Amino acid sequence: MIDFQIWLVALCARATAVRTLMHAPWVWGGAETIHFIGLSLLFGGIFLFDLRLLGVGNRIPIAEVHRFIPLGLLGFGLALASGVLFVMAEPDQYVYNPAFHFKILFMVLAGLNAGVFYLTSYRRAVAAGAAIDATRLSKLIAVASLSLWLGVVVSGRLLTFYRPWPCGADNPPGVLAWCLPGYDEQGR
Amino acid sequence: MWIRESTSVFAYPTILSAHAIGMGLAAGFNFALVAHVLGLGRSIPTSELRRFLPVMWWGFWLNAVSGAALLIAYPTKALTNPVFYVKMSLIAFAIRLVVVMDRRILRSSWPDTARPSVKVLAIASLVSWTGAITAGRFLAYTYTRLFASW
Repeated sequence: MIDFQIWLVALCARATAVRTLMHAPWVWGGAETIHFIGLSLLFGGIFLFDLRLLGVGNRIPIAEVHRFIPLGLLGFGLALASGVLFVMAEPDQYVYNPAFHFKILFMVLAGLNAGVFYLTSYRRAVAAGAAIDATRLSKLIAVASLSLWLGVVVSGRLLTFYRPWPCGADNPPGVLAWCLPGYDEQGR
Repeated sequence: MWIRESTSVFAYPTILSAHAIGMGLAAGFNFALVAHVLGLGRSIPTSELRRFLPVMWWGFWLNAVSGAALLIAYPTKALTNPVFYVKMSLIAFAIRLVVVMDRRILRSSWPDTARPSVKVLAIASLVSWTGAITAGRFLAYTYTRLFASW
């Protein structure tokens, strides 16, 4: 795994143009903004559908609420594109970051979870004259989807606190969480 | 002070996470509603989308609370930054638009989403939420004073 990480960091580090571009004034913040707007669109599309599977707004047929999924995918695309730029610009801040590993894990699981839905339940849920209530399996998938995407957001927010980061002048590089007051009292 | 220097390492990160989730719920529902007014899922009766409105309010209140906590943790950082006041104004305007859209579109028995004035409302909502997120993100890059003593 570590060989792969070193290879990936070296690969990204060769994209010097991306690094220069991302560190130009306003660009990093602009990309962060796109990342967060993408997150909101993803919620607006995917969560709306998950909540419908769980019974919210159940006077709307499931097939109709499914029309909002492309909105969620658009959001995911925006977040993915801006996210790739962050990683390419500062690879070691992410590739060696445990919060980033969890973020990727949750995203892969969310993708597999959606795949399971389309393989097992989609056709029945959106068929003409489909039942108002989603099946128990669909509801389970919806809960998993909500939880996994929340996991993606939380681990994304935690990234900053697990960056390789020097804690003050005397300290060796560690993760930023170690710099927070009170960490030692907790015992590492 | 508790939030900034809490013995719990995760106090501040947890509040930041809650703030991002609340944003996703509040802005996300609004984006979905705007997309609907602009033509997505036209066959859905608009008033039925009102069932999802509580999700927006949950997100909003989660963010009001977590935002207040962040403000208490770093009051100088936000209050000395003009971008913070821009963000607050945009959110106040966006919330006002939610109330207006609720009355004009979601609770109306004959909502006509094709009316230009309704589309203008939706686009204004889109712009103000996008602006609020932008201002919020740039708070992290534009502050001049982190603490009062700096």
